[in-house]
Amino acid sequence: METELQSFIEKYDLLGCIQCGRCTGGCPVTVRTNLNVRRFVYDSLDEDILEELANLPEIWDCTACSTCAVRCPKGLKPLEVLIGLRGILVEGGRVQPTVRDALESVFREGNPWDKPRAARCDWMKDLDVRIAEPGEAVENLIFVCCTIVYDPKLQVIAQNLVRILNKAGVDFAFIGEDETCCGSEVHNLGEEGLFEMLVEDNTELLNSFNAKRMVTISPHCYTAFKNEHPDLKMEVVHYTQLVGELLEDKKLELTREVPQRIVFHDPCFLGKQNHVFDEPRYILGNIPGAELVEFDRCRERSLCCEGGGGKMWVETESTKERLSDTRVKDARALEAGILAVACPFCELTLDDSVKAKGFEEEMRVAEILEILGEAIED
Amino acid sequence: MSDVFVLAEHRQGELRDITLEMLTLANGVAEKLGGNTVAVLLGSGVDSFAEKVSGYSDKVLYIDDPLFEDYNSEKYQRVLAALLDDYKPTLLMVGHTTQGVDMAPALAVEKQLPFISDVFEFEFEDGKPIPVRQFYGGKVNANVAFKGDPPYLATIREASVEVGEPSKQGSVEKIDSPLKEDIDYRRFIEYIEAEVGDVDITQSEILVAVGRGVREDKNMPMVEELAQVLKADLCGSRAATDAGWLPHDRQVGTSGKTVKPKLYLAIGISGAFQHLAGMKGAKTIVAINKDPEAPIFAEADYGIVDDLFKVVPVLTEKLKELKG
Repeated sequence: METELQSFIEKYDLLGCIQCGRCTGGCPVTVRTNLNVRRFVYDSLDEDILEELANLPEIWDCTACSTCAVRCPKGLKPLEVLIGLRGILVEGGRVQPTVRDALESVFREGNPWDKPRAARCDWMKDLDVRIAEPGEAVENLIFVCCTIVYDPKLQVIAQNLVRILNKAGVDFAFIGEDETCCGSEVHNLGEEGLFEMLVEDNTELLNSFNAKRMVTISPHCYTAFKNEHPDLKMEVVHYTQLVGELLEDKKLELTREVPQRIVFHDPCFLGKQNHVFDEPRYILGNIPGAELVEFDRCRERSLCCEGGGGKMWVETESTKERLSDTRVKDARALEAGILAVACPFCELTLDDSVKAKGFEEEMRVAEILEILGEAIED
Repeated sequence: MSDVFVLAEHRQGELRDITLEMLTLANGVAEKLGGNTVAVLLGSGVDSFAEKVSGYSDKVLYIDDPLFEDYNSEKYQRVLAALLDDYKPTLLMVGHTTQGVDMAPALAVEKQLPFISDVFEFEFEDGKPIPVRQFYGGKVNANVAFKGDPPYLATIREASVEVGEPSKQGSVEKIDSPLKEDIDYRRFIEYIEAEVGDVDITQSEILVAVGRGVREDKNMPMVEELAQVLKADLCGSRAATDAGWLPHDRQVGTSGKTVKPKLYLAIGISGAFQHLAGMKGAKTIVAINKDPEAPIFAEADYGIVDDLFKVVPVLTEKLKELKG
């Protein structure tokens, strides 16, 4: 059998690029690093120097926010070129130990945090929840996310979703210990082989359940399952879409006041990449006593927090202000008491910045489900 | 026969600790086997080492030759192969060190020796030495028998044996090198010292880690003093390195470094998930934080819930007292 390997140029459709520069013009990390993604697209046309390009530290500055892809008039995905270059390093075993360890952990334990698979359901041990059985019908299959299941501070997000869905009388079940990393960050770190394996295994596992739709909590899982799993036989939604629906249908009522000024930070993987802008705002707008304000840079123009694109495992050399620091300063300027997020990575990076900037007294970062937990009565 | 040979290891004019550790271990094994402990020393003008190791062995075979001025695995392998033929010891111990792991496997293949690596102890069955080594990242100790006939070869883990006072007075026998000519295809070029001042926190045994709770650069000397008393290296959370209190290569966490010290003293670190993932491998974790709900306490073996500005000076003073 003869197989033909796609060249780098073909794979990323590099000849389609007209070098207009909209990608670099919109790239949020250019304010703090030397990354020029247009330049990488151009230079990659010479396939003989790909190795050389892969060794430039800037390729790790990309957060995979996809602003470049959103802005590209030719419909290309410049960020994928950088991910392809990372792939060259992964292939050669030349990545940072932090990246290597995260990837190895996904392979071994199904999560990038070096946590045992056996502890994946610890967050639900005090809750009466259903674990899905293969073949058994379930309306909503919940995919929790590696970061939320293991981070003791974030586990409340999943716990609150259980409270809300129970209250609204929704039929739902969890995957349990078999839930395995969606691979979004594996792909972004350039480990294409492992990503393909995860897609195959997860497709088989998830299709074994007789679920009508899958509800994801993290936008990273959402985008991975919605856009990168072509053989998945169920609808994939983000929880904000489901909860928005429940509020609209009056199945869920928010009765307790949260008297705070709230500003919502659009996660790149939810907003820019999947156009889910309105649902989070609809939910927050329904919280009694809350006043919703907007960042100047919101929706499609939202400023990335730098938590994606594998950046949880890679540190940029730049010492210029982190985008998450800029973001919390903007939130502070709006006098928001809560910086609301809908993504675990956004919560981790922005929470770090609130601490770094010393704003802990004035404001907090909270996932929408955390705020909802305060707005419902049990 | 029945003797235990130990390859003495030295570098840059210093006898390495592993040498006396191996000899101590070898003395126990030789006694059980009813043989002698023989140190094999290769070098040029290292008489003081010969004398030192003689205090821990029954005999020292000392090859004093400019050929062995610097370590060269190829030359060592040739000499050891010849000595094994001549003396037929039961067991040869080599350090499980950069030098030892470079040479031992090749020697095992050349002489078809039963070989077990990274051994830290020996047990005995029917008069045969049974090496003990670890599996599964140190979770399981396993007795692993040599397969086949002696001479056996084992590499010995560093710092696994406590060395006592010298208790023997072995004879030092200078012998001629079985290797007469230098080899040119594998040569010693230079010894590169790690840059002074560069601290690799992944290798530190004691770490004092600072977080946002330290508040300002001007509070760092207080923590530095504690680190000095503890002979610890300093590291920190992302907040601490971002604030410029520490260089970025001291950042602990998933995007920084993963550390595994014996003691990790976290000062004013609340314990963001990314940080915890980088230090949970520490043997003992002590946390000082004023917030009893801080996630760091879930990982900590010992916790002090109090204002770090009150605790750290007292801790430093007490440690100074203890150390006299």
